[in-house]
Amino acid sequence: MVWTKWSYMDHWVTETPQGPQPPSFNRAYMDRYIKQLSALGFTGFDTFFFYLPFYAGMYGGVPGFERFLRDNGFDKITGIFSAYPSATKYTAPHVRETHDRIVADCTTTLRMCEGLTGVENFIVMPTSTYYQTEPVTDDTIKVVADLWNRVGKLTLEQGIKTTCHFEFWGAIRTREQLDTFFRYTDPELVHFFCDTAQHTIAGVDPVQLFRDYKDRCTGFHFKDTKNVDEHEAYRTPPDPELMAPQVTRWFYEMGEGGLVDFPALMKEIVASGYDGWLTVEHDKAELGGGSYAEATAVAKWYIDNVLAEAEARSELSGSIQGARR
Amino acid sequence: MRDTLRWAYALNQWNVRLDVFVRHEDQQRALKTASACGFDTIELASGTGRWDNISRPEVILLNHGSHQGFLDFLRRAKVHGVSSMFWDPQQPTEEEEGYAFRSTANPADHDAIVEWSKPFVDFVAGVGADQLVVRPVGSAWMSPPLDADGIKLIGDVWNRIGELTSAAGLGLALHYDCLGAVHTEAELTGLLDATDPATVGLALDTAEFTVGGIDPVAFYREHADRVTHVHLKDTRYADTGEEYRMPGAESTMLKGGAGRRIERWFYELGTEGGLVDVKGFVAALRENNYPGWVVVESDHGGNPAELAMLNSWYLQHELGVAKR
Repeated sequence: MVWTKWSYMDHWVTETPQGPQPPSFNRAYMDRYIKQLSALGFTGFDTFFFYLPFYAGMYGGVPGFERFLRDNGFDKITGIFSAYPSATKYTAPHVRETHDRIVADCTTTLRMCEGLTGVENFIVMPTSTYYQTEPVTDDTIKVVADLWNRVGKLTLEQGIKTTCHFEFWGAIRTREQLDTFFRYTDPELVHFFCDTAQHTIAGVDPVQLFRDYKDRCTGFHFKDTKNVDEHEAYRTPPDPELMAPQVTRWFYEMGEGGLVDFPALMKEIVASGYDGWLTVEHDKAELGGGSYAEATAVAKWYIDNVLAEAEARSELSGSIQGARR
Repeated sequence: MRDTLRWAYALNQWNVRLDVFVRHEDQQRALKTASACGFDTIELASGTGRWDNISRPEVILLNHGSHQGFLDFLRRAKVHGVSSMFWDPQQPTEEEEGYAFRSTANPADHDAIVEWSKPFVDFVAGVGADQLVVRPVGSAWMSPPLDADGIKLIGDVWNRIGELTSAAGLGLALHYDCLGAVHTEAELTGLLDATDPATVGLALDTAEFTVGGIDPVAFYREHADRVTHVHLKDTRYADTGEEYRMPGAESTMLKGGAGRRIERWFYELGTEGGLVDVKGFVAALRENNYPGWVVVESDHGGNPAELAMLNSWYLQHELGVAKR
């Protein structure tokens, strides 16, 4: 079997008459963007909560946008990403007094998803930046966990799983902090979203992390990195992703000689029986002259060739073991 | 792309300037892009010098050691072969030919041009490709209009090169372009009449024909037996004001430097307002059991990967071509 549930995370920059812009520049650019993803064979689409009003405006509602996706061979919108990377006095996951506001925001986002075919994941950055949150104690993590338990219950009522996507510069980043967070959260309400590059940069092995939390894993961002953060770049204010002194580009597409062992991860995924969506993400691919379009094509080439082979080998090994039993 | 037609993709859109598309890893990314879009065969375009290292036979061999070495390089990206190679003998080349300007319209240049063709013939044969695709004549604005004798002279040199390609088991396809001195339908049919159908064919480029004022579908239906190669792309404009005769038409017309200031003439398949009847043309190919290659290209049209994906989308969704 070839894995068919490949989704694409909605980062993209394309050339427009007004310079490089996201395809939400206008409807015509969105049409071109979706056709390109469709040509490569993506069938799921993950997007950000802040794009939903744009798409609703262009396509007569978010369900109208999803119908457009379906007309182009997609199954559906698979995930909605929400985040509070900067802590403010109104919104900061580690500050209990802001939780009501965050829950209200999530309710608004969920309302925009009404009428969709079946969004599977409400993907959240569980914390704001490390430097705004520190010191990160057990109590800090407990406060954050309480928030997402609450949001998890809310989203589940709409059939959507709240799943946590950790950043290398977020307040929960080490293996020990991750374990604490998962201990404090309800496995029925709060799930794990594995971003291969973010964990690797933070010094956490994403393959081992998936192995340990596969029962709570509801999705992936397949992206690569060439650097582990060895200089505490994660504490760079106000933004380590674009301002770290030692590393100007953290994220790369698969197949460019990065640190993540994607074939090993693919084998683990197949062996685990996971049957959800696998999402490709290209974050800031334009840095250094890169092109989102080419990054996407090259990543899909890697999926179609290298990962398909890893998947086939894993299935073969599984069936041999099954036969022996 | 799997179909009754043979589909290939042109790499020319990646190689848009002398000092880009030089590193092998960049070339691998382009090849992977074509492959991910469903194209496992490519067309090469000729170039010159050390930076055109996927464009000049001698330099390709220097880089990869042998024809097989180059094919191995392609196959690393799951691109299995080369359909064809484009060559313009009017293009001055640097080290290889000492920057000589030569023209097929000048009989005194013919011996040299025939000699120049040999590395291309050898290379195209060596990599197992089918067609040497050539620009038969220089730009119209650079010389007086051709009369019948002038066209016959041009035919003479291509007949000589056609003998070389035939001997090597290849086809030779004359590629009409919208700036060429063979410009009108009558001039083009004159050139076809002046060449040997057994050894010299036509490369029909749907957008170039349309810009030049020739209906590609009607022309194909009338001359299907001479069409041995196809470039499939679209355009939103036709040269309705004889802009091809403007001095420096390569920049004054094709790059929007004068006249109507149209900065981009060539477009991906399915472009809004496209003038080419792509579906009608492909249907005509199928009706005639066209046996050659259909090379999809988006000549200097923007981001190459975006255009390759859009072309792939069109083939899959509008022409019903299966990707694998």
